[in-house]
Amino acid sequence: MPDIEPFSPRGMFHEGWTAEVSDYAIACGWALKGKQFIVGDVAGGIFAFEGDTGKIIWKKENTHSGGLLAMAIHPEGEIFATSGQDGNVQICNCHEGKVIKTLDLGKGWVEHLKWSNDGLFLAIATSKKVYVFNEIGEEKWISEDHPSTVSAITWSNKNELATACYGRVTFFDIVNNKTNQKLEWQGSLVSMELSPDGDIVACGSQDNSVHFWRRSTGMDAEMTGYPGKPSHLSFDDSGKLLATSGSERITVWSFIGNGPEGTMPGELCHHTEPISSLAFSNKGMLVASGSRDGSVVASFLKNDGNGDPVGAAFAGDLVGAISWRPDDCALAAVNAKGVVNVWKFKVRTNLFSKGFK
Amino acid sequence: MSIKDKVPVTILTGFLGSGKTTLLNRILSEEHGKRIAVIENEYGEVGIDQGLVINADEEVFEMSNGCICCTVRGDLIRVLGNLMKRRDKFDYVLVETTGLADPGPVAQTFFMDEEISSEFTLDGIVTLVDAAHIDQQLGRSDESSEQVAFADVLVLNKTDLVSDDALDTLESRLRDMNRMTRIIRAENAKVPIETVLNLSAFDLDQILKRRPTFLEPEYPFEWTGVYDLEPGKYELILEEGPDPEMSLVAIVNQGESEEELKDGAESSVRLYAENANTLEPGNTVPYGEHVNLKLENKGNKSFILNIEKPSKIGLFTQHTAEEFNMKVIKSDENKEIPFNTERFWQAEHEHDDEVGSIAIERFGDVDPEKLNTWMGRLLSEKGVDIFRTKGFISYSGNPRRIVFQGVHMLFTAQPDKEWGNEPRRNQLVFIGRNLNEKEMQEGFDKCLI
Repeated sequence: MPDIEPFSPRGMFHEGWTAEVSDYAIACGWALKGKQFIVGDVAGGIFAFEGDTGKIIWKKENTHSGGLLAMAIHPEGEIFATSGQDGNVQICNCHEGKVIKTLDLGKGWVEHLKWSNDGLFLAIATSKKVYVFNEIGEEKWISEDHPSTVSAITWSNKNELATACYGRVTFFDIVNNKTNQKLEWQGSLVSMELSPDGDIVACGSQDNSVHFWRRSTGMDAEMTGYPGKPSHLSFDDSGKLLATSGSERITVWSFIGNGPEGTMPGELCHHTEPISSLAFSNKGMLVASGSRDGSVVASFLKNDGNGDPVGAAFAGDLVGAISWRPDDCALAAVNAKGVVNVWKFKVRTNLFSKGFK
Repeated sequence: MSIKDKVPVTILTGFLGSGKTTLLNRILSEEHGKRIAVIENEYGEVGIDQGLVINADEEVFEMSNGCICCTVRGDLIRVLGNLMKRRDKFDYVLVETTGLADPGPVAQTFFMDEEISSEFTLDGIVTLVDAAHIDQQLGRSDESSEQVAFADVLVLNKTDLVSDDALDTLESRLRDMNRMTRIIRAENAKVPIETVLNLSAFDLDQILKRRPTFLEPEYPFEWTGVYDLEPGKYELILEEGPDPEMSLVAIVNQGESEEELKDGAESSVRLYAENANTLEPGNTVPYGEHVNLKLENKGNKSFILNIEKPSKIGLFTQHTAEEFNMKVIKSDENKEIPFNTERFWQAEHEHDDEVGSIAIERFGDVDPEKLNTWMGRLLSEKGVDIFRTKGFISYSGNPRRIVFQGVHMLFTAQPDKEWGNEPRRNQLVFIGRNLNEKEMQEGFDKCLI
């Protein structure tokens, strides 16, 4: 249990609703344009709540024998995909949770799922292989074996998929079955994010550093000095700031001007234990962070990566995942005890009711 | 999170065919009340019977700095990272490695990765050895000697296929390579569960309780008896024994406390280093000199001890008194004088293997800064060859003893219980390849205050 005392929502966070799922909550996301909130727990329970009230809409348990590993909601918000230790991926309908299609990918754990931005493709990583399926579950592409288990996947544009594993990041044109680019570096890459324009590739590394490349120039840099491995990374929507975990502080690198090489990062010290989740708002320079100590903080950042907290709330236990509602007017956090918290996010005066500007 | 809340992890290593799966099944099927999660790298022909079993391919991740000590096992980080979210389902983890696995990265994972080390604690490394084949394997591969070197427990399996003599020889070879290990003989991997699980092998007190001499240096003598003698003439009588001769050093005013015995032992080591004078039966034993008793003749042999004023005499003998039924008799009364105190020592013997253990034991305090500098340099120069380090240290000015342990270059030092009335001392064991004992002891001595 966290050592900090429970506290009521402060600043721009306001009481919303809470609910519970059956086990340690590991994944969550908004569907149906914010009308629905879906939570997955480690044992394979999936729960859909009304976005405004937290009323349960549907639930199902034991969707993946051995447990759930990943969940991804389609950008249109009508369907979602889940994967687990059973080697399966299920594509489901958000309204009732019904399985539309089950994909059996063999024995390995299926650890990563990502929909392409236009929603036409679902990328799936299991062991050393990556698959791409379309919305209705037809196989479109399979990678060769990677040198090690794939640790992260992300789409760089509508046909190009980036994969990270031990020692390298690879860009595949999945329509023409081509390898577009390989970025190599000896280290175990544990996380990966791309800037919205796809130029900057940032990876957290097992050796407690963040490595990044600029695809256009081929330049790369290594940011060291983290006490732990940066498992969580988030770019803001303009690609100027990269927030990183790796300790109880949030370290923010600014890509404005010649940075971040040779610059001091912004540092936000709001939590007493390491950061366990991190997410920029859909629009603007607001970053939300959840910690092992159960606290959730939203900070408003300046161009240099420094900033001030604008709101805080207590989620009760280790924050497993956080998610901004598509309009950024609410933030959801799910925790290790299976508790779901959704707070309204707005200024305390009634002047602005449309969220943060 | 305190160490008590962390989930203990046992690493099971051993060559293919040494009986790992048999042992694993034995552990899983026994009634021990534990719910064990198993991470398996080797998919043997024998299946695992039950329990939460996760298969994962071995993935050894080296870091960009090229330091082998930072090398970790990516598969374990992944699987344990998931298991830590399911703590209500199990309370113990067993990791079964492949026969060729290097135990270093496996153990290092529990030190290097903060997320893992905050939730799991390495309880011990158990290595299975096939008694019939290990002799050849040790000659052929580095992996097998490293698995022996890393072990907290060595299960000498398939003893039914080997003679007792061969087992004794093998056991002493393995003991030479790793002096802090516990060796258990087994047929068909049949060992009591408590000898392989919940060892707290990284807890020194446990080890010392089990084998109080494991940290001791080796001496050229096996036994000391301290006799309280009034003035007069005494005879030292020896019956026939295993050897035609025996070295001995007699020390005057030998104290009986542990510290005084160790001081006496240190002086005797120096005297043993000098050439021995041969004594025939009937000769007088000099004090503070290395002598070699001639014992070829049949029947009892008697040597003379002359005492001028009341004194405690310490006899440091190459073999134990029992082996020759050695007695001290007061000549005029023909009465046996029993020893007041006896002490057995770890006897020294030949080391054949490259892999071996070095122990350092010294009374007194060390200067923390000097020690840090010395350890830092030692581990950065020799970290690749030093597999395991365990010990405790007395820092000057600190009321608690400092316990430390390491794997290759990584080591942790933390304050342990208070010294209280115990004499302050330092004990260290290094297990590694081609270590220079003298150099390391001298280096440590320079850190003493």
